[in-house]
Parts: sequence; C-alpha cells; structure tokens
Amino acid sequence: MTTETVQIDIDSDFMRTPEKVMRLERMGSSFPTRLSFMRTLIRRMSKENWKFERTRREVDKDGYGISVYAVTTPNRTYSLIAFTQEIPADMRTDRVIAEVWDATFSLFDGVPSQEDIDYLADNTPKQEAGRYRPSELTLSRANKSLRVFKNVVDSLSAGNQPDKDLLTSVGYLMRTSAVYGSGKFGCADRDKISDREECKAPFQIELLTVYLIRWFTIDSAEELAKERGGEKAVKLDKTTRRFIGVGNATGLGMAPFLLKHPALIHNWVVAKETALARVRSIETPIEGTLKVFLKSLLQVSQHVDEWNVEDDIQSERISCLTDEIQALRLWCENEPNILRPYPWNGIYQYVEDNFSLECQEMVVSLIIEPHGALVDDLAETMSTTEIPKFKADMSLSELKEVVADSYQWATTIDFSLGESQHHFWYYSEDKLEPRFGSKGVDDGVEKEMPLAIGRDVHDLNEKLLETSNATSLSDFVMSYPQFRHIIRRIQNTFVRPYSEVQDNLLSETMRPLDLLRFKLAFFGASKFDPKSNLWTRISMYQGAPMPDQLSEPNHDCWSFPIGGRSQSYPCINCTCQKDI
Amino acid sequence: MSKRHLTISLNEVLFYFTRAAFGVNASIGLSEDFARGNIWVSENGFDPSRCSLKALDNLDSKASSLSIKFEKTKDGGHLFCPEGKFLSSLEASSSCVDWIEVSNGSGALKISNVDSPFLVVSALGANGCLGIKVLWTDQEKNQFQVNLINNDDWEVLSSSSTLIELSSNADMLISPLTASDESNKGNIIKKFNLAEEKLKILHIGVKVEENWDAIYSYFSRCLVKSSAESRASGAGAGLVDTD
Repeated sequence: MTTETVQIDIDSDFMRTPEKVMRLERMGSSFPTRLSFMRTLIRRMSKENWKFERTRREVDKDGYGISVYAVTTPNRTYSLIAFTQEIPADMRTDRVIAEVWDATFSLFDGVPSQEDIDYLADNTPKQEAGRYRPSELTLSRANKSLRVFKNVVDSLSAGNQPDKDLLTSVGYLMRTSAVYGSGKFGCADRDKISDREECKAPFQIELLTVYLIRWFTIDSAEELAKERGGEKAVKLDKTTRRFIGVGNATGLGMAPFLLKHPALIHNWVVAKETALARVRSIETPIEGTLKVFLKSLLQVSQHVDEWNVEDDIQSERISCLTDEIQALRLWCENEPNILRPYPWNGIYQYVEDNFSLECQEMVVSLIIEPHGALVDDLAETMSTTEIPKFKADMSLSELKEVVADSYQWATTIDFSLGESQHHFWYYSEDKLEPRFGSKGVDDGVEKEMPLAIGRDVHDLNEKLLETSNATSLSDFVMSYPQFRHIIRRIQNTFVRPYSEVQDNLLSETMRPLDLLRFKLAFFGASKFDPKSNLWTRISMYQGAPMPDQLSEPNHDCWSFPIGGRSQSYPCINCTCQKDI
Repeated sequence: MSKRHLTISLNEVLFYFTRAAFGVNASIGLSEDFARGNIWVSENGFDPSRCSLKALDNLDSKASSLSIKFEKTKDGGHLFCPEGKFLSSLEASSSCVDWIEVSNGSGALKISNVDSPFLVVSALGANGCLGIKVLWTDQEKNQFQVNLINNDDWEVLSSSSTLIELSSNADMLISPLTASDESNKGNIIKKFNLAEEKLKILHIGVKVEENWDAIYSYFSRCLVKSSAESRASGAGAGLVDTD
C-alpha cells in the first residue's frame, strides 16, 4: 500500500479530529506505539533473520580504537564503524557545539575496505567538521554516562552484576547526541536507499545505527570488564542486557524537521489515529486482548514508577499519571465497565473524559498494543516521497476558502500582541546550532527560520481579504512574493489535515519540547527526561531484544519495559503467547 | 564547509542554496524554488554553484531585479522586469513555471532580459514541465535550444561549445515542442537522461568547485552571530553533561 492510497475516514466516530490531535499540549504527551519506527525495525530484523557480527575490534586496554559491527539483511550488509577515544570529562556536552566525544560512528553502506576505514578515521571523530561520502549512510556520536559505565565495567570485571537501581535510574551506558542521515555533511541522500525494502519506513537507517550503537555500548563494557577482570569477569545477565537501552539527548534540531515535512507528519499521525480508530471500533474484543490490556496496566504502573526525572512539570505529570493508571485499573476491575460492546471505545472514552493528556496518550498506546494483526499494516503507510508544488491554477477565491476552512486556528490568533510573536527560531553561526530566540532580547530576528506557520497564514489572510477574487494567483504572487512559500504549504496541507501543528509556534508559552516528544515517540523513544523547554533526554531500544535475542518468541514484547525483567504480561502479537 | 572542490549531497544543495538565495533577499518561497532547480541541475551532473552564482551576484549588486510584470500577447504571454534591469532568473523561473501550469504550456511565453537562462530551464525541469522547448541567444551570440522531452530525457542544441550553465543574459522563448525540434541540424547536441545521471550522482555526490565559497558566503548571511548569552541559553541545555 502506498501512502497516497490510505483512506482516512475522518467522519468516523472513532477517529480523533486534527483539532484534537495536533495541539502542542497533546503532542507533548505522546508515547510510542507498536507502529513506532523502532518497533517496525525490530520486527523486520526478526522476520528476515538479520545476521549480526562484530567483524573488527582493534582497541587498547582502555577500549580506545576502532571496531566494526556488521549486519547482513537478505539483500545487503551495513557496517557500523566505531571510533573511541579518551576525552576530558568536562568536554562532554550533549550540545551540537561539542567538539569531542567518547565514541563516534559512521554507518557504511556495505563492507568497508581498509581505505574506507582510514578515510573515516580522519573524518568521523571530527563529526560536523569532517566530510562524508555517499558510501556513508549516517554519522553519529555518543558519550558515556560516566557513573553507569564505570559501575557496569567495575562490577562485571569483579564478577558481579551491576547496581540494578543505578542502571534502572539511567537506563543506558552511553548517550547519543546526534544521528545525522539523509545527505548531511555529504552522507548518502535518502534517494539512494529509499527504494530498499528495509529503508522504506521512516528513519530506519538512522534507527539501525542507534540499534548497532546500543550493541556496541554493551559489547564495549563487557570487553573492557574482561580486559580488566580476566577470568573473574562475567557478562551481563540476559535480562539486564535486554533492558539496557541507548540514551539520546535531543534539542531544537528536531523541531524544524517536523515543521518542514508536513506531508510526512500527516502520514505518521493518520497511521496512528487510524490504528486507534480501528481498535475503538471493535464491537466484540478479540479473544485474550482485554486480558493482555489489564495485565499491561500493572506493568505500566511499574514502568512509570521507574520513570524519574528532575523536571518539575514532568515530575508532576508522572505523579498524576501514576494515580490515574491506578484509578483506571480499579475502574476496569468493575466488569460491567469493560464487558460490553465496543469495550475499547468505552475505555478510551472514560480515560478521555476523566484523566490527563499524559494518561490518555498512554492508554492510546496500550489499547493499540494487543492488536498487531489489526494495525501493523499501517506501518507501511508512514513514508512519503511527495515534494510540495506551487499550484498556480488555484483561484484566489478557492485559496481564500481553504484558509478560512482549514486555518481558522491561525487566522484567529491576535499577532498584534507581543506575547504572540515572542519567539523566533534561528541557526547560530556556532556550528549551525539551531536556537530559539526571544524578540527584543536576542539578535537575529531578521534571519529567522521560516517556521512561523500560523503568523504567515494570518498575514496572508489579511492580504487575501483585501484582494479581488478576479486576481489570478500567479499575479498575486508576482505582486507579493513573500507569500509564495505559505501558499504552497497551504495548497499541500489542506488535503492532509493532520499535517499542521495547530498552535502558535512563536507564542511566549510555546515549548519546543512538545514537538520533540511528539517526534521522538513516533521513533519509539521512552523515558522522556526534559532538561529544559528546549531539550530532552530519552531512552531508545530499552527492553528491545539484543541481536542474539531477535529470534526469540518475545522479540516484539518490549513496550513500557521494566528494569531487570522482561515484559511481565503475555503478548498476543507474537509467538510468545503462553496462556491465551 | 567553506572549501573549494567539495562533494556535497543533494540535500545539502537544498539546504545551502535555499538560504543563499534568502541571503540576497529573495523571498523564502522563491528561494525554495531556486534550490529545487539547483537540485535538478545537480542531478544532471552540473555544478550548481557554477550555474547559480551569477544570478545571486546580480541580485546582491542590484544589477538584476525580482520585480516582474506579465502581459498577454496574441500567442501567449510576456514576462519582463519593469525597472529596466536584468530580470532575475529566480523570479523568472517561478513565474514561468506558474504560467505553464495555468496555460498548460499551449502558447508561447517570451521572457525578456533574463540574467541566467539556464536557471529557468532548471525550474522547468524540476517542475516536470515537459513537451516544451526553450530558445535563447545570449549576449555572446551563442544560440541555445533546450528540448524537455519527457520525464527523463532532455537535450541541449547549441551553436557553440560554450557551456550552457555559463550562458549570459538573454531574451527567452518557451513554446511547445514539435517533432522537428528534436532533429535540428547544424548544432552541437548533448542529450541527457535524468534517471541515469541522478543514479550516478547518488553514488558519487555533487561536485562543487570554485564558486562554492561565494555561495557559502551568501548562505552565511542567514546565520546569527553567537553571543555568550545565546550560546548559554539559546539551545536550552547546559554545556557539560557527564552523567
């Protein structure tokens, strides 16, 4: 199925409207679902029996040097080339402006020659300051969580398992701070790989990189422990290995992408919302699914208990979520509440009527989870190759109508208020770091990125209202070229109603964090740990099978993982089901 | 990134050329169109910086203008700059594509005094304007005819060995392609297949040479100077992360 053939039954009682879904507050409460891109990738790895092999490890006694981790799919091989080095502790920063990292990576398209490795050894450790070729698919880097890495290596080398509480509280050994793909710094363009089956879903090659980095971090810690402890050293136990994810620190760079790819975002959201609508429209539940859901509420309570952050707002939300999950469990224990027609809709509706957005979105994820057979096909609809075109043959009256119908959220904002145009987005000359400025405080407003969708629509609307319908659109843009980009956007988004964030992105109260969480949830990230309104840490692949666990029956059972334990409830989406 | 003889990706062409045009005060919409045109020239194996620098220089020096007028003619239309300057090929490109969409390419369009004719061709190619021919004679009396035949195939017929991307300002004529246009005698003919050229580029990258530094310089105008304050607070995170 192609993205353009997805049918949206927007009038369905079970489909949430764009006005409800595409609001920052709800977007900033998102959780991963089984359609998230990491889940899709892991299912493919398992189904296609991908082979993983460390093909090279040339490091010194402290683990510094070069390693290569290869993965072979049915059609080709990809190789993660990792470079590790010693860096001063105070040089570790998650920011784009960093200049050194504990580990740097290139994902090579195929098997690298020595010449390729030599070339990358000169470039990859420099990250943005290096140059890459179409043979490199991604560029990435990671720093250690010093506390956890040290504890794991010290413990394993002494023959012990690491401190479980410490591991659970952080969740990873190393944290990535960028994974660049799609032509960045000379790497391969997406078009080079977009017709490969394993690359068709969004961000698969970037997430493959992260998966291999996760393996690298665990492998590195175990090898270092062996180097130090000799025969006394042990490996991580199987459950702990699986629980360890890889961290990521994400900042503003993600937000512009989200705003510049509206057709793609529409497809992501439609897939998720269609999945939810399909589940809500089930009159009689598929056997066993309610039981799985009820057990998942128990697991998710513990997952939330382990989700500890310093951010006051998120802490309060987590606390509220804890109480609400407990209240939902009690409500569900009253059988008449769920043993009735359309039980999933009943559960969803009860949660929407009574609980926070955080809880609503978690329940969306939980009720979709047991319905793989019903929704997994939607994962194939989440890409697009659409390049937006300006349609000069649209009449001005038609454009006016579209703006009035689809952009009321923008035309009704009062942009004469200072608070409505408080912020602007820009690229700093400091390594092109994306930054969020305040008007009147920060310089550079005249160089702002064109991300002020609401304001631009609003200004266009003002001009349209004073222009005769007899004017052709091509004449209009010849007179007012400043509106060409926003008209093109409107022409391409009004037919994709889930493509626009229906809030003012310049508002004083706007939190870029909401955009980041929305996008990261689609990736499959968990344990959102905001460090400010502009920045968050997350865990990726926590609970996901390691390469040697992909053939196990429970390979797809890793939503809302719990420290030190694999998923406690039976999953009915894969062959691990036992008691259903 | 400000180096000569680089190899860049198509995505970098989009990123840098959009902002380079914005850096010489083109609107963001025209800048995006300009970058898409440059992707098309890159996919066809040209150096986009060689194709585009003159147009950006002209805008920057105000030798060209984005001001444009359209008038109907008996067999189609006429685009021109009302200010007596070169018509910037950035504006000419977008307006020309718009005209073809509205007219279905059925008539003839004259565009007067365009500063970089090949950029107009690039916009037509990037927007899938097919079955048309583009004719011009530049200031050095070099004659060019570009036939945009189908999705993949296009050809250049020229009276000299002058590189088409360096062709100087000219009046251009765009009209439907006829069967006889494809077999023009007495010209140097160069044929292109976009799919084949693009496949090559995806595997070797886009080579940019001596003009790249100037493109990068225009791009840099979109960057905001970093201050101690913006460095500390603009990205919302601290400067040391050891845990």
